[in-house]
Amino acid sequence: MTELNTPADPSSESPAAAPSGVGATTHFGFRTVKTEEKQHLVREVFDSVASNYDLMNDLMSGGVHRLWKDRFIEMLAPRPGQKLLDVAGGTGDIAFRFLSQAQKRQKDDQPDASVTVCDINGEMLRVGRDRAVNRNILRNIEWVEGDAQHLPFPDASFDAYTIAFGLRNVTDIDLAMREARRVLKPGGRFMCLEFSKVVMPVLDQLYDVYSFKILPVMGQVVARNREAYQYLAESIRQFPPQEQMIERMKKAGLSQCSYRNLSGGIAAIHSGWRI
Amino acid sequence: MSEAPRTVDPKLLEILVCPLSKGPLTYDPQAQELISPQAGLAYPIRDGIPIMLIDAARQLDGEGA
Repeated sequence: MTELNTPADPSSESPAAAPSGVGATTHFGFRTVKTEEKQHLVREVFDSVASNYDLMNDLMSGGVHRLWKDRFIEMLAPRPGQKLLDVAGGTGDIAFRFLSQAQKRQKDDQPDASVTVCDINGEMLRVGRDRAVNRNILRNIEWVEGDAQHLPFPDASFDAYTIAFGLRNVTDIDLAMREARRVLKPGGRFMCLEFSKVVMPVLDQLYDVYSFKILPVMGQVVARNREAYQYLAESIRQFPPQEQMIERMKKAGLSQCSYRNLSGGIAAIHSGWRI
Repeated sequence: MSEAPRTVDPKLLEILVCPLSKGPLTYDPQAQELISPQAGLAYPIRDGIPIMLIDAARQLDGEGA
């Protein structure tokens, strides 16, 4: 796999230090596109699938994405008073789990946990906010349209940062992880749930057939958008595998980085800390 | 159920900064915008959700950027 982005100087915190100049290229699935184009292409994909997104996830993963998300939150171990920034969490799946788990641990005299959901896609946020209202979740949750690469939050403002099935879609994941570190308080935790590299023989071949032959057809039938799901399958293969991801996290300034495979590596949870 | 116009949560405004300059913002309730004087940009608030995207922001006349 070729990495076409030029890594920026990790010590620089300036947003002007975005690594890809005009004319640089990056991946959009297996297509190579201009860096500045990817964000728009990804946005189109998610605009078009927003209302079917959760249904599609269920079909794609046979409902397993729910268990992965449960596991993800379990590892985060939400606690009362904790402030979470959930990036790319438009439909609220992580935020709702976080709030309910934190509430379970809460004693009378302890402050509420709170979550800020930040997504680049307005449609996904609206779906999430409507779901929150339907579930009667009206407090301790904020919705912001924002870019993982240029977060609209001050330094050291959150206890935890989560990104579930989102980092893959960010043009410059190194910049996104440096931003994650910036907004975390010292002692704060970064956690990423993402499709990863299948590490089991046979399963990897079945998975290839599934994602390149079956998934796009399901995308066509359910969301009427074959390209969007074709993109999903391709973008998963372009994302750095487990160990490479650890190296990138360390380069972004995160410490004590580790990962855990889910379902034989179909997905993985990566965790790191801002010390 | 009637749709009340959604307003932005004051607690949210307290924690937001300009994504470009990381500087403070001022809230213009009339225009429903968050102004970043440092970057010379105004970020729109739509349906109660602040849109903190640099390329969706309005360029302020005669200042900044």
